[in-house]
Amino acid sequence: MLAELINPYHLQVASFILINIILGVSIYITLSTGQLSLANAGFMGIGAYTSALLTLNFDLPIIVGILAGTLMAGLFGIIIGIPTLRLQGVYLAIVTLGFGEVIRVIFVNWESLTKGAVGLSGIPHMGREILKTLKGFGFDPKVFGLQNNQFVFLTIFLLLLVITISIIMFFRRQNRSRVGRAFAAIKLDEKAAESMGINITYYKVLAFAQGALVAGFAGTLFAHVLAYISPADFAYHRAVEILIFAVFGGSEVIWGPVFGALFLTVMPEVLRFISEYRYMIYGLIIIIMMAVRPQGLIDVNILNWIKLKTSKRRQKHGTSSQKSM
Amino acid sequence: MLIEQLINGITLGSIYAIVALGFTLVFGVLGIINMAHGEIFMFGAFIGVVVTATFKGPLWLAFLAAILVTAAMGYMLERFALRPLRSKQGVSHLAPLISTIGVSILLENLSHHLFGPGNHPFRASFAEISFQIGSITVYLVQIVIFIISVLLMYALSFWLGKTKAGKALRATAENLETASLLGVDVKRTITMTVIIASAMGGIAGILVGMAFNSVTPQMGLSIGLKGLAIIILGGMGNVKGAMAGGLILGLAETFVVVYGNSGYKDAIAFVAIIVILLIRPQGLFGQKISA
Repeated sequence: MLAELINPYHLQVASFILINIILGVSIYITLSTGQLSLANAGFMGIGAYTSALLTLNFDLPIIVGILAGTLMAGLFGIIIGIPTLRLQGVYLAIVTLGFGEVIRVIFVNWESLTKGAVGLSGIPHMGREILKTLKGFGFDPKVFGLQNNQFVFLTIFLLLLVITISIIMFFRRQNRSRVGRAFAAIKLDEKAAESMGINITYYKVLAFAQGALVAGFAGTLFAHVLAYISPADFAYHRAVEILIFAVFGGSEVIWGPVFGALFLTVMPEVLRFISEYRYMIYGLIIIIMMAVRPQGLIDVNILNWIKLKTSKRRQKHGTSSQKSM
Repeated sequence: MLIEQLINGITLGSIYAIVALGFTLVFGVLGIINMAHGEIFMFGAFIGVVVTATFKGPLWLAFLAAILVTAAMGYMLERFALRPLRSKQGVSHLAPLISTIGVSILLENLSHHLFGPGNHPFRASFAEISFQIGSITVYLVQIVIFIISVLLMYALSFWLGKTKAGKALRATAENLETASLLGVDVKRTITMTVIIASAMGGIAGILVGMAFNSVTPQMGLSIGLKGLAIIILGGMGNVKGAMAGGLILGLAETFVVVYGNSGYKDAIAFVAIIVILLIRPQGLFGQKISA
């Protein structure tokens, strides 16, 4: 029964949706202080390569690789963040774009370490490693009536789901905290925020580093889910793709990029004939969204409207159930 | 050897300078970074390939066709991606940047479908003609490219400095509202600026096709990013800075290929902008603006 429902391919797509959602969150964090960073693809690459190289060359467990990759990306985020915070708006966008491009060039050219444009293959696969460990304890997926392959993709999906939900919950809570209010104040008016006693340098670097950390984390997951990475995975197109999640879904609330990532990853899979024209459609989406709805599909108003609808329905249900009692 | 490389560098640099001029004009007037400029440039190069290789047309026709097509693209860009944002209130200043990124993605993939992803050779009839001066070999193509670039830069400087339309453009660049109050047709000036910038991109596209004998859909991105680096290097919106910045980058890249590691050629531009923005954000030739 369960075995028939589980299609490894669908689970694979679902896993990529979750990774893209994490990437969408990463650009949302920097955007929530009003900074547009296009370096997230580069940070993702740093995370992916760090983790892949550590696990490949030193046989470290995946979890160590993931932690190291994430921290490495976060470290780069701080290093890049501190000097670039002197820049604003368009300049910041260009420098971060340039940073991403430099990272890509380094990946391509440092052949002794990264194998150049060919990329790294045979990276330890997260699901298979888990299965191997479990089998060591005498576990067999047949207990659930699953084949090895199905079990592998199911574990990855569930693991990513838990991770993604925790990340979203964390940043939702952060938004309501002192840090989140500082971010929002900086986004509205930097000078006013500063005169209110907010240390804008600290909070901007914090947002930048958090974005890098999350992007790097997504990169490490990407490496261990796909088991193959190449510099092209982290180039300009990836940066733009991440940007589109936020542009399309909206960057005012965290659900915007989440929805954007979900919708834009599912769309080319569902509409097969579209997937060839995927980037052309992306381009059109950006142009149209900017002209018609620059804040993205999901903004605070929409969110309130949805809340109102659901609470009304709940009220109705509530009264009807009372009557029946 | 050294002089040959110097000539190569100047050829490359003058092409970069023309690309950068397109960026700098749009930035000067609109305060917008036109990320689609590189792709318009790439379309110019492809029009050149189509005219000279597919239809066996003469080179001047290729230039004419490229100018017309890229000018039309410039108009469309302004009309559909930039103008709708201008009339809106409370739009983030990043919106036009993002919008032109959309145009660039659209155009790059459109050219993938129209022309195919591969490498297209560009056959100029005089590509192989070269002169021997002492021990130095100079290709005719290089001289043609250099002459066209210098003429173009001179024409642009003259137009900006001496003609009425050029003055209107500079006034608009100075202050959009004041220029409008003084009777400048701002809307027309902006449209014209974007069209001229795009047409210059188209010309540069053909020149690059001639110089490197290859045209690919990806070239727009790499040249576009370099053009961006150059205007930061030379100072945003600064016409002379763009020319000088282009030459500096062209020479730097050529010498890195000769004396260093050619793989890192594409990184120079970005290392340069990162350094320049941190040390001298107004650019090498820009004036300090007090905030």
